[in-house]
Amino acid sequence: FTSQSCAAKKIKIEIKEKKEKKHKVDEDEIQKMQILVSSFSEEQLNRYEMYRRSAFPKAAIKRLIQSITGTSVSQNVVIAMSGISKVFVGEVVEEALDVCEKWGESPPLQPKHMREAVRRLKSRGQIPNSKYKKIIFH
Amino acid sequence: MSVSRARGGSCRTEKPVFAVETMADEEEDPPFEEDTEEAGGGTDGGQGKRKRLFSKELRCMMYGFGDDQNPYTESVDILEDLVIEFITEMTHKAMSIGRQGRVQVEDIVFLIRKDPRKFARVKDLLTMNEELKRARKAFDEANYGS
Repeated sequence: FTSQSCAAKKIKIEIKEKKEKKHKVDEDEIQKMQILVSSFSEEQLNRYEMYRRSAFPKAAIKRLIQSITGTSVSQNVVIAMSGISKVFVGEVVEEALDVCEKWGESPPLQPKHMREAVRRLKSRGQIPNSKYKKIIFH
Repeated sequence: MSVSRARGGSCRTEKPVFAVETMADEEEDPPFEEDTEEAGGGTDGGQGKRKRLFSKELRCMMYGFGDDQNPYTESVDILEDLVIEFITEMTHKAMSIGRQGRVQVEDIVFLIRKDPRKFARVKDLLTMNEELKRARKAFDEANYGS
């Protein structure tokens, strides 16, 4: 009896401490971000604002998904899909910037950077592709 | 190619698709802006005549993620096609699992469980949405009497 309740108590305390630690880490993160953002140049602030605020229009995403399913979808689905699509864009753009830099070139990103970025992401399995062979780019 | 080139809408729509490869080597910068407004967008032959859905938003996004303040239209178009393909794939996959023929949040979460960034982002977004809904509800109830 008592050994079981002791073990259960221990686990409960561990979970609570982990939560508190995570809370503290989050607070540290927030503070660090504030310090970082307050030191941004105007150009950096502009870019950061675009990074935070840019989003896909919910109506267009909803229409797109519904045109594929033929049924209606919930608001949460639109929120989730828009969110991961933005992350996806970020992954492609960041990879393309890497390619651009590696090739000794500079922004604006050109189609060849985008295509090479997609090639690399695909080889790492970061781009879903359920078709065997699809020619997107010539 | 000139680095100071700011606008990207310079591809003529009559050019065949493979000309996109050589666009970067052009020394000339023809002042055609029509590509940005064109419903067809002739640089990517694969998608045909679909109207551009996210041009404005994608430009802002690309800048936010590190591209130039004025990204090339051709690059924006490529990204848009990529995003639409991504959403299409995810939707088809979601329809094939869980409750067939429907897309539910649980299915999406399941599909991206192996991708830490996307998984964390979806969790955050849904949590925030719940909090907002709760806050709005509490606000409305507080105002009910007045």
